[in-house]
Amino acid sequence: MNGRITEENRKQREIQYKNFVSLTGMTERQMEDLAAERFAGAWSELTASQKRGRLLSDQFLRSYGRSPEAKGEYQLVGWRSLFMPTEIMYAMGIMPLTVEMTAAQLAMMGLAVGRLETAEGNGYVQDICSFIKTGGGAVIEDILPSPDILLTSTHICDPSAKFAMYAAHKYNRPEFVLDIPYSVWSYGPDEEGKKRYEDAVSYVADQLGDMVRFISSETGAVFDEAKLIETIELANEARKWFLLGYKFLLEEPGAVQGSKDMDYAVNLMQTWGTEQIVDVYKSRYDELRAAAKKKSAAGEKPKVRWAHLRPYYANTLIDYIEEKADIIGSHVNYIYWDEMDARDPFRELARKTVLTPTYCQVGTRSSLILQAMNKGEGLIAFYPKSCRHYHSSARMEQETFKKNGIPMLILDSDCIDNRGDDFLIQKTRIDRFLKSLEQGQMRV
Amino acid sequence: MLKATIGWFCSYTPTELFEAAGCAAYGIREDSGKAHEDVYLGDSICSYVRSCMGGALGGSYDFLDGVVVAHSCECMRRLYDGWLFKQNDIKPECIHLLDVPRVCNEKSIAFFSQSLRHLKDKIELRYGKITDDALRASIVRHNRTRALLSRLFELRKRDNPPVTGVEALKIIQRSTTEPRDEFNRDLESLLASWESDSRASNSARPRVMVYGGIGNPRLHEAVEDAGGIVVFEDACTGVRHFYGMADTEGDPIHALAARYLSKPPCPRMLGEHANRGLSDAVQIIKDYRIQGIVYYAVKFCTNLQMGMLQYKEMIGGHAPVKMIEGEISGEVNEREIASFIKKIGRRSAA
Repeated sequence: MNGRITEENRKQREIQYKNFVSLTGMTERQMEDLAAERFAGAWSELTASQKRGRLLSDQFLRSYGRSPEAKGEYQLVGWRSLFMPTEIMYAMGIMPLTVEMTAAQLAMMGLAVGRLETAEGNGYVQDICSFIKTGGGAVIEDILPSPDILLTSTHICDPSAKFAMYAAHKYNRPEFVLDIPYSVWSYGPDEEGKKRYEDAVSYVADQLGDMVRFISSETGAVFDEAKLIETIELANEARKWFLLGYKFLLEEPGAVQGSKDMDYAVNLMQTWGTEQIVDVYKSRYDELRAAAKKKSAAGEKPKVRWAHLRPYYANTLIDYIEEKADIIGSHVNYIYWDEMDARDPFRELARKTVLTPTYCQVGTRSSLILQAMNKGEGLIAFYPKSCRHYHSSARMEQETFKKNGIPMLILDSDCIDNRGDDFLIQKTRIDRFLKSLEQGQMRV
Repeated sequence: MLKATIGWFCSYTPTELFEAAGCAAYGIREDSGKAHEDVYLGDSICSYVRSCMGGALGGSYDFLDGVVVAHSCECMRRLYDGWLFKQNDIKPECIHLLDVPRVCNEKSIAFFSQSLRHLKDKIELRYGKITDDALRASIVRHNRTRALLSRLFELRKRDNPPVTGVEALKIIQRSTTEPRDEFNRDLESLLASWESDSRASNSARPRVMVYGGIGNPRLHEAVEDAGGIVVFEDACTGVRHFYGMADTEGDPIHALAARYLSKPPCPRMLGEHANRGLSDAVQIIKDYRIQGIVYYAVKFCTNLQMGMLQYKEMIGGHAPVKMIEGEISGEVNEREIASFIKKIGRRSAA
């Protein structure tokens, strides 16, 4: 370990934990009691979503050294950007902390707006991504467990990568940047396209090797290839169970609330490579099958798919939509990668990483969505205005889908920041959209 | 006889390739005035890209035969998508999207070389073979422009700079649009007259650096109307456009990849190279005796917006930094700028 960083982190994480707890309005004792209560039940007795929640809570508390299951133990923490693969991190004992996921959690707890205001009062401009701005406020208030290292990929979100650069400066911690080629999906199926794809994979695989050496030299964490192979096998197993559930949900729409299923957010999740996530996805599959048996025979509702993420703050929007329609799938639960060959771990992880389908041209992304959709289904795109990447593609996507007979509703709101939330305006548009879907009309 | 004129947008575009194919390179820098004709990319995109897309739809670039878009940021990637999507309504063909790495090291230079070979193939398909000799000759001509612009910047180090920021900016802008040999000849003679000129009366004016992206020409005017003088632009229309020579020996594609990735970094860049860019700013402040910095973030440019805090924390101790948000054209907040110039003038007098 890096002695200076460890020593600083040990002291600082005590303060950061206190700062975090004070935001919740609880005392440290109350927080400990709550955590103990949450962790008291047997894992096997929990539902899939409870298991996922416990896993993420444990990871978060462990980063402060406060998990009831590992109290006082020093944990190497790596702040990762949203699309950085996690398998190498787990293989080297680095606990990922994803700022965007933390921002979503703060929004669910009703704690995001305060952080947004802190960020805005300290130089963050209004129109920056609200996930990142919440993270910015959290850094300024010093409520997150400080990192040992930062691992950033250049995928998709400019603010995420720039935020990591700032956080590395602010905490004086080493940062590794994994450069990802753009729009690999658009390379084409011909020989030249295949060569370019393999070159892109080699470029990223080589960098992953550099990343391992960087982590070792900066944190002292030991790399063991056998351990990496094991984490990749776990990721494959988790993938298998998630896919079974995903396919089942398509065949049995309405078995569970689609919005709740979105919270698995598999292509963003920081849990790939853990043992627990295998069990989470297996439990989800078992629950889906059990729920399908109990499903009422009520009349069919319109089927919609969801693009981008949902609002994480308390809202009536999602419940309202689900009263009237079944959300049968979402972008974030799209498993776009093949099973990985664990014998070639860096190359396989590179393949998975470069193929992130969000990081491609609008035309390519639209084609991928169209391939997955069926006639009669609609698409709801919840695109925050602060997200340049998604918001700027809305009009082009809408025209493309319309030509292909898929109605699309664009809700430009925000996932984290509810200060401009106006459900009544959205309700009118949702009603009209769902009515047109019911009538099989194209007019949106 | 020119085969075609190819438009480019971002300073990471190696225009040497265009000229080696017998084409002219035209840098689209100015506001087309048609930003509001773009409804395809929405209102969360920076005014530069909206202006380019609106200009394309409104016919402002009909004199071009094609364009090459560099994938430099979120907004530029959508310019490419929008251009392709509306290609039937836009005259210049969108030839290629050039993927540009965001880090600078041996591996990224090798990968960028592959991207450049792919761009070269696309140009050759349309305009004929680009030989290594033609490419080297093009590099030599570009290096000549770079050397001349470096001489211009050397003049701006003087206590009494013979050239104002407004004049220097116009020259940099000309270098992106005019035929290269003609521009090189003109600048050569302008430099000769400025280098022997000691009649300027700029010595008492507070010395300002502008940090930003594509910028807004009105900003220079506002600084200089308020009594300051802009002596350095750490911007796409400044040092990032010309600093750093490309190697004229060896593989010319690799030389271009190395030159463009290692030039002074745009805020899009990450990792060590980006941090080095911030450290280099300290030396620039010393060399040019900068008394104040105007950090001009074009609205909706995430990289500039997100870079503000770190810039202020790292550089603010060496020179006062004024953060301003705005568009690529139109008015800037003159009162705010005048007050800043006054403040740094008083500070240096004390």
